[in-house]
Amino acid sequence: MNISKIMRVAAREFASTAMTKGFIIGAIVVPAVMVAVIPLVMMLAMSAQPPADTGTVYILDHSTEVLPVIEERLDPEAVKDRWIERFGDAAELAGKLLPSVGSSAAADTIDQAASSIKSPIFKIIPAGGDTDIDELKTELRNQVTANAKLSDETEKLLAIVEIDIDATRKLNEDEGYGAYQAFFRPKLNEETVSEIKDGVRWSIRQKRYENADLDRTLIAEINTIQARQSKEITETGERKEASAIASFGIPFVSMLLLLVASMTGGQYLLTTTVEEKSNRVVEVLLSAVSPIELMTGKIVGQMGVGLSLLAVYNSVGIIALIIFKRGDLVSPMTFVYVFIFFILAYFMFASLMAAIGAAVNDLREAQSLMTPVMIMMIMPYIFFMPVIRAPNSLFSTIMSMIPPISPFIMIMRVSSTDAPPAWQILLAILINLVGVLFFLWFAAKVFRVGLLMFGKPPNIRTLIKWIRMA
Amino acid sequence: MTNAVSMSGVRKTFGQKVAVEGIDLTIPEGSMYGFIGPNGAGKTTTIRMIMSILFPDCGELSVLGKKSAVESKDRIGYLPEERGIYKKMKVGSFLKHIGRLKGLDSKGLDSRVKEWLDRVDLNEVYKKKCEELSKGMQQKVQFIASVLHDPDLIILDEPFSGLDPVNMRLLRTLIDEQHTQGKTVIFSTHVMFQAEKICDHIVMIHEGKKVLDDTLDDIRTRFDPRAIHIDPVAGAGSVDAIAQLPCVSLVRPVEIAVEVILNEGIDTQEAMKIILSTQPLNRIEIKKPTLEDVFIEIVTGGDTSEDAQLLRAKLLSGSKGEEEASS
Repeated sequence: MNISKIMRVAAREFASTAMTKGFIIGAIVVPAVMVAVIPLVMMLAMSAQPPADTGTVYILDHSTEVLPVIEERLDPEAVKDRWIERFGDAAELAGKLLPSVGSSAAADTIDQAASSIKSPIFKIIPAGGDTDIDELKTELRNQVTANAKLSDETEKLLAIVEIDIDATRKLNEDEGYGAYQAFFRPKLNEETVSEIKDGVRWSIRQKRYENADLDRTLIAEINTIQARQSKEITETGERKEASAIASFGIPFVSMLLLLVASMTGGQYLLTTTVEEKSNRVVEVLLSAVSPIELMTGKIVGQMGVGLSLLAVYNSVGIIALIIFKRGDLVSPMTFVYVFIFFILAYFMFASLMAAIGAAVNDLREAQSLMTPVMIMMIMPYIFFMPVIRAPNSLFSTIMSMIPPISPFIMIMRVSSTDAPPAWQILLAILINLVGVLFFLWFAAKVFRVGLLMFGKPPNIRTLIKWIRMA
Repeated sequence: MTNAVSMSGVRKTFGQKVAVEGIDLTIPEGSMYGFIGPNGAGKTTTIRMIMSILFPDCGELSVLGKKSAVESKDRIGYLPEERGIYKKMKVGSFLKHIGRLKGLDSKGLDSRVKEWLDRVDLNEVYKKKCEELSKGMQQKVQFIASVLHDPDLIILDEPFSGLDPVNMRLLRTLIDEQHTQGKTVIFSTHVMFQAEKICDHIVMIHEGKKVLDDTLDDIRTRFDPRAIHIDPVAGAGSVDAIAQLPCVSLVRPVEIAVEVILNEGIDTQEAMKIILSTQPLNRIEIKKPTLEDVFIEIVTGGDTSEDAQLLRAKLLSGSKGEEEASS
C-alpha cells in the first residue's frame, strides 16, 4: 500500500466531486445562505416599522365613565412609550440573532431607533351621548369616498367606538356586562387597529375592576405562576423534563444527518466507479496503482465529501442552538458520536457501493444490485419510532448491535434523552469496526475482479464466485 | 543482458475459457518486441499479466527484475487497448494526475506535460477538457500518459488503431525514439504489417499459445517460401513454358502477378536467370514472406485446405484497411 498514491487518488476523487458547482451550491452555499439570511429576515420582520397612522377616533361612550380612561390610555405619549418598550424587546432578540454585530454597537442602534420610532397618534373626540352612530358612520364613509387629502392629518377619521351603557356596570346582577363595538376605516394598519381595540378593552376592564373594588395588580399577580423547570427523577439523579424536540427531534436529525452524509458519499462513489469503468480509464489507473489502493483512495476521497457535508450541517445546527439558546438540547458528545458513527456507517456503505460500481457496466445495471442496499438505508426510518419510544428496550439494544444499520440505530439511542450505558456504545463501535473490515474485504475482492470484467452484469452468485476467485 | 520481462509456463483461464496457455517468454532489456496474432488470441491478457492487472493461475513471471509489476509499476509505461480518460478533466490536469500517480514529483511536472504536448502538436489543448478532443488527439494524450514518467519498459496495446497516417507516422517516430534511448518496448497489434515495419523481434500468439518467437530476419530466412513473382509481358496465360521447367514445382496466378514455386534445393538466383530466359517479363522478384504468410503456415502447417483459406481471409480482412492507410 502506497499511502501517497492513495492520497493522490483520494484528492482527485474529492476534487472531482466536491469542487463542482453543483455540489458547492447544493450542499454548502444553500445551508450557509440559510444561516446568514434567516436571522436577517427575522430582524427585518421584527424591526420593520409599520407606517404610523394619525387621525381622529370618535368615542361614543354610553357608560360615560370609560372615556377618560381611554383618553389617558391612547394618549400619543403613552402609546409611544409602549411601542418603544415593545420594539426594544424585538431589537434585543435581533441582536442575539446577529452575534457578529458588536453588542455596544447594537445598543446604540437600538437607542437611536427607539427615539425615532413612529407610533400612531390618536385624537380622541368624545361624541355626545345623544349622537346618532349612523351620522358618524356617514361622516367616515364620506371621507373614504372623497379620498381627499386633509389639511390637518388629525382630521382623518380612523375609527368610531361605541361603548354600551352597561359595559362597566351590570344593570341586573344576573346579567352579564355590556360590550363595545368599533367601526374602522378600511385598510388601516393592523397595529393601529389593535392599538385602538386593546386600548378600549384595557380601559373597560380597568373601570370594571374599580367598580368591583378589585386590585388590578393583585389579580395580575394571582394569575401569573412562575413555574420552575419540571424535572425527571432518574436512577442517577434528576434532569430536565424532555421536550418533544429533545426526545424525538434531536435523535431523528442525528440519524438523518448520518444517513444523508453516508448516502451522498456512497452515491458519488458508485457514480465515479461506474464512470471510471465504462470510460476504461480504470486500466490506466491500474497500471499505476493496485486495485486495493484505488479503492481505498476513492473511499477516503468520498469520505471527505461526506465529512464536509457533516461539518456544514453540524455548524448550521450549532449556530441554531446558540441563537435560540438551546445548547441544553444536545450534549457536545453527541457531535463526537455523530462523527464516529458516520465513519463506521460510511465505510460499510461505501464498500458496498464500490463493489457494486466495479461489478456493473452502467448505472442502470447498478439498480438491481442496489435494492438490498436501499432496504438497508430504509431500516433506520422504520425502526425510528420503536427505538425512540424505548431507546433501551431489548429490541433497540439488539438492533444497535447489528451492522450495517447499527450506527444509525446507535446514534438515535445516544442522542435520545435516555442514553445507553457506555459499554453498549463501546461494544457497538467494536462490532462495527469488525463489520467495516468485513465489508472492506468483500468490496476489495469484488472490486479487483469486477473492474476489468465487461459484459453481463453479475448476480449475487457470480459475485460470490468472484470472491473465491480473487 | 538482463531481461525486462520473463515468463515461464504462464497460464490464465476465465471460467471455462483458456485465455493464455503455458507461455514461456523472455524479453531482453532494450529490445523492441511485437506481439502479433489475430483478435482474441490472448495478447491483451498476456500484457495485462505482465502489468499485474491480472494474475496468472500458474507459472512464473518477473518484470524488471521484480517478482511482479506491482513492485515496479512506476518504471513501466502502459497504454491499454481500451483507451480511457477522465472526460470532464482538463488535459493538463489529467496528465499531471497520472504523472503523480506514477510517482513523479509535482515540481517540474507542469513543464514536462507542456513539453510533451508540444512534441505531439497538442500545445493548445492543455486547458481543454478531455471530452472536447478528437479521438486521435485523445489517443496522443494517452500515449503521453504512458511515457510521461520516463519509464524503462513501455507496453503499448494496439497503439496504432484508429490513427490517421500522419499521426501513425508521428507515433512510430516517438516509439522509435524511446527505443533508441534504450527503453524496452513491447507492443501488440493484430495488424501484422505494422509489426513488420517497426519490430526487431516478433512473438506470435495464437489461441493462447506462443507459436513463434524470433527476430524478423531469422523468420524471413526460416520461412523462405522459395517463390518468385513474375509479371509476363504476354499476360498470365503464357506461363506454360515456365511450368515445364525442371526447377519449378508449381505455377499459379496470384493477385497482380504469377507465383512460381521452386522445387526444394534450387538456388533462387539461378532459377530467376532460367525463368527470365524463357520469355520477356515486366517484373521479376523474389517473394518475401510476410508475417501473415508465416502465421498461416505455422497455424495451418502448410495446409492449403479450406480452413487455412478461411483463416487467411479473416486475417486479411482484419488488416487490410489499416495496411492501406499506413502505407
